[in-house]
Amino acid sequence: MSSRFKILLLLTPALFVICVLFLGGLGLGLARSFNYMPVIGLTEPSFHAYIAVFTNPEFYQSLGLSLYISITSTVISTVLAVACALLLRESFAGKRTVTFLFQLNLTIPHVVGAVAMLFLLSQSGFLARIGYLFGIIDQPSEFPEMIYDDYAIGIILQYVWKETPFIGLIALAILQSMGDDYESVARSLGANRWQRLFYVIIPLITPGVMRACIVAFAFTFGAFEVPYLIGKTYPTVLPVLAYQSYTDVDLTLRPEAMAMALVIALISTILIVAYLRVSRRFVRFD
Amino acid sequence: MFAKSIRTTGASLCLAAALSLAGPSSAFAGKEVDSDWPNMTWEEILAEAEGQTVNWYMWGGSDIINSYVGNWVAAQVKERYGITLKRIGIDSTVDAVNKVLGEKEAGVSRGGSVDLIWINGRNFQTMKQGGMLFCDYMQKMPNDQYINWDDPTVAFDFGIPVDFCEVPWGRAQMVMVYDPTRLENPPKTIPELIQWVKDNPGRFTYPAPPDFTGMFFVKHVLYSTAGTYEPFIGPFDQTVYDDVAPQLWSTLNDMAPALWRRGETYPADRAALHQLFANGEIDFTVATHPDSVGKDIDKGTFPPTTSSYVLDDGTVGDVHYVAIPYNAAHKAAAMVVANYLISPEAQLEKAKPSVWGVRTALDLTRLPDEWQQRFIDLPRHPAVVSDADLARAALPQPNSEWVKPFEDGWRKNVAAKN
Amino acid sequence: MVLAGLREVAAEGGSRALWRRRSLWRWLAIGLLLTWLILPLVPLVIWSFSFSWFFPSTLPSRWGMRAWEYAFSPTASVLPALWDTIVIAGGTVFLSLLIGVPAGRALGLHVFRGKRIVEFLVIAPTIVPPLAVVLGIHVVFIRLGLADTVIGVILVHLIPVLPYVTLVMTGVFANYDPEFEDQARSLGAGWVRTIWYVMLPAIFPGLMVAGLFAFLISWSQYVITLLIGGGQVQTLPLLLYSFARSGDNALTGALSVIFILPGLLMLLLTSRFLTGRNQVIGGIGR
Repeated sequence: MSSRFKILLLLTPALFVICVLFLGGLGLGLARSFNYMPVIGLTEPSFHAYIAVFTNPEFYQSLGLSLYISITSTVISTVLAVACALLLRESFAGKRTVTFLFQLNLTIPHVVGAVAMLFLLSQSGFLARIGYLFGIIDQPSEFPEMIYDDYAIGIILQYVWKETPFIGLIALAILQSMGDDYESVARSLGANRWQRLFYVIIPLITPGVMRACIVAFAFTFGAFEVPYLIGKTYPTVLPVLAYQSYTDVDLTLRPEAMAMALVIALISTILIVAYLRVSRRFVRFD
Repeated sequence: MFAKSIRTTGASLCLAAALSLAGPSSAFAGKEVDSDWPNMTWEEILAEAEGQTVNWYMWGGSDIINSYVGNWVAAQVKERYGITLKRIGIDSTVDAVNKVLGEKEAGVSRGGSVDLIWINGRNFQTMKQGGMLFCDYMQKMPNDQYINWDDPTVAFDFGIPVDFCEVPWGRAQMVMVYDPTRLENPPKTIPELIQWVKDNPGRFTYPAPPDFTGMFFVKHVLYSTAGTYEPFIGPFDQTVYDDVAPQLWSTLNDMAPALWRRGETYPADRAALHQLFANGEIDFTVATHPDSVGKDIDKGTFPPTTSSYVLDDGTVGDVHYVAIPYNAAHKAAAMVVANYLISPEAQLEKAKPSVWGVRTALDLTRLPDEWQQRFIDLPRHPAVVSDADLARAALPQPNSEWVKPFEDGWRKNVAAKN
Repeated sequence: MVLAGLREVAAEGGSRALWRRRSLWRWLAIGLLLTWLILPLVPLVIWSFSFSWFFPSTLPSRWGMRAWEYAFSPTASVLPALWDTIVIAGGTVFLSLLIGVPAGRALGLHVFRGKRIVEFLVIAPTIVPPLAVVLGIHVVFIRLGLADTVIGVILVHLIPVLPYVTLVMTGVFANYDPEFEDQARSLGAGWVRTIWYVMLPAIFPGLMVAGLFAFLISWSQYVITLLIGGGQVQTLPLLLYSFARSGDNALTGALSVIFILPGLLMLLLTSRFLTGRNQVIGGIGR
C-alpha cells in the first residue's frame, strides 16, 4: 500500500505535466479542429475543417512528401548509424576524438543544420564552387539540385546528418553494454564475420535501434524548421502547411490547421502502436 | 451543486472586484489614454507616455533598419520623451497581426502586447476590417501637419482608405536590379521581359506568392495582361477576375518552363532571389525599396557592378506605415513614437543613404524651407534610380482585396501546374 | 569447438595482408565519416568572416568582420537573446530533471499496474509533434498570461524534453540497486542525506546525460518558442531564422557559430558519460 503510494507520488509530477500540457493541448486542439471553443464564443461544433482538409489535393501531396522524407531519411540514417556504431566499437588510435566528433552534431540545432546545408549544397553553394574550381561545372545550373528541389535531397541529407549520430550512439551504447560474450560464443561455434553480424549482433541491437528509429522518424515527420528553410515552396510538408494555415490572417483557417496537426499526431500514434506490436515479436534484450 | 455555484459566483465576483480595482487605479491620477484620449491634450499624452515601454513589432531581417530603429530612434525617444523603445524583430509582419488576432480571440482587449506595428497592404486591411486598430489620433500629433492626407498615395493603402488608422512612415517602389556587365540592354517593359525570359531560359524567376516581392511581379504581369491597372484599384470584382485571371495564369505558365529550375520551384522570398542574382544563377532580381540596391552593394550582398532601373510601362509603388493595435498596452507612448517618426529630423535621418535610404512619406512642400533643402541635398548612390524616374514610372498598388484571390489563384493555377 | 575458435583466431591474426587491408578500409571509412560530419560546418564559419563572396569564388573575394561587429553590437540583441536562450534551457533542464528523475525511478525500479499505460504516456510526446500540441495550448496560454513570457516558453519546452529525461532516467534506475539506500537508512541517514550521498552519486552520469539532452532539445526549439513566446521572448533560433530568411549570409554564419558553441561546451562537459563504460544513453534504446 505504502509502496503503491510512493510510486504514485514519484509519478505525479510527470503525469501532471503530460496530462495537463500534452493531453490538454491535444484536447484543446481537437476541440478547436471541430470549431468548438466556448471560451472564445464558438459553440457549434462542425466537421467543416476536416472536410476542407481531406478534400484539398495539396494536403495529400504534403502528406506524401512528409512520409517520403521521413521514411527515406530514417532508413538511410539507421543503416549508416549501425555501420558507424560497428566502426566506432573497435579500438583504434584517435578513437576518442572520432567519437567526440561523432557526438558533435547531436548538439547542433536543426536550424543551424538547415542553414549549413543551404550554404553547402545550393547550386551556387560551397560544393558547387569547389566543383567549379576543379572544372567539373561551369555555371550553377549544372550543379545537381538539392535545395528547394523535388526530391527534398537537402532536407533528407540534413536529417541524415543529424539523426545518424543519434541512432548511432544508441546502437554503440547497446553494443558496448553487450560486451564480447555473445560474439565469442558465436565465433567459437565457427561463425564468420558476416554470420556474426547478421545472426548475432543485428538481432541483439534491433529492439533498441528500432526504438531510436521510431523517435527519429516521428521527429522528422513532425518537424517544421528544416523544410521551412530549405524545402520547396509547393508542395510543402504537412507541419509547414499546418503552420501556414494557423498563422494565416484568415481566422477561419485555424480549425483546419488544428485538424492537420491532429492528423499528423494521429499518423504518428498509429506508427507507435504498430511499432509496439512489431517490437514484441522480437527477442527483448535487457 | 447549488452551494457550489454560489461559491463560484462569489469567487468570480471577488475576482472581478479585485480586477476592477487594479485596473483603473491609475485613472485617479488623471485621464487615461485607453478611455479618455479624445479629451486629452498632446501634453497630457506626453506626460502619460513618459516612462512607458513601446513594443514595436517589425520585420527584423535587415541590420540597417534594425540599427536605425534600435539605435537612433530608440536613443532619440528615450532622451526626448523618456520612452523605452523595444524593437521586436519578427520574420514577417503577419506574425504581429496574428498576435493581436490571437489576443482578440482570447478576449485580451486591454493591455495587449503589441504597441506598434510596421505595416501596410493586406495586413493593414486585415487589422482594419477586424477592428483591431486604434484610429483617429493623428489630429493630436503635432507632426501630422507635414502629412498630406489629400494625397491618394498616402490616404489609400493598397486601395484601402487609411481613415487615420495608421501613420505613413516611408515610400517604396519596385525597381529591376541587374548587372550591366552581364547584360547590356535589359528589357524595358513587361512584354519585352517575358520575351527575354523565353529567349534566355533559366535566367529569370520570381519569389513564390504569397511572398510580398513575388506578388509585386505578378501584379506587374497582371497590369500588363489586362492593359490597365484601373479595375484593380477598386474593390474586388468577380467578373473582372474571371475575365482576366485565366489570361494571367496562361501568361505565367507559358513563361514557367523558361524560368529558373524550369518553373518547377520558386525561391521562397526576396532574400533567396537576391542570392540567386548575386551568385549569377539568374540575371535579374527586383527590389521593392529603390535605395536598398545601393545598400546591398555597399554591404557586399550584390556585386559592385550592379545597377537598377524602372520599367517603361511603370512599376508599382506604395507607402508603408506604422499602426497602433486597439488593445495596445502603451498607446500614449506609441503615439509619441509615431509622431516622432514623422518629424523632419527622423525622416531625414532615415532618408540618408548611409543610414537606411528610404524616401520620405512627408509632403516636402509643407516643410520649412531649410528642411526642404536638406532633403533635396541628400546624396544618392549611383546604382539607385533617381526620384524623377521613379515618379515618372509610378503605378498604384491594386486594392488589397484583390491580393488574396490572386495569391490563392497563383498557388492553384501556376504552382500546382508545373 | 575450441579448435574452430583457434583456427579463426589464427586465420584473422595470421594474415597480415588481410589485416592491413581491413585497417585501410577502416581509415577510409573514418575519413569519410569525419568529412561528412564536419564539412557542412565549414561554409558557416567562412561566411561569418566574409564581406562579399559570390559564385564562383571558392573563398570570399573580400573578408570582413561586419557580421561579428554587428552580432556583438547592442542593436543586434544577440547577447540578450543568448541570455534568454540560456535561462530557458537552464529552467527547462532544472524542471525536467526535478520531474523526470522521480518518474524514471518509479518506472525503472518498480513494477506496478498500469505501468504500460504510463510508459506509453511518457513516450507519446516524442512521437506526437509538439506543434500539434502547442497550437491547441496557445489560446489558453494567452488567456492565462503565459504567452510572451519566459515561464510559458519553459513550460512548453517541457513537452518535448520530459520524455527524453524520463527515458534516460528509467534506464539508469533499471541498473540501480536501492539496497544501498536501505543500508544507509539503517545506519541512521535521513532521506535527504540518503538522496544526496547515496542516490545522487550513483545516478550522476545519467543525470548529466539527461541534462545534456534536455538542454540540447530546449536549446534548438524554434516553432513552439515562436508561437508561445510571440516574438517577445527572443531566443537565438528565432534571431538566426530572421537573418537566414533575410539572406544575410555573413550574419547568419556568425549567429550559427554563436549558436553552436554553448551546446559544444555542454557536450565537452558530459561527453565522457555518453559512450564508454559509463554510458547511459542506451536508456532511450531500451
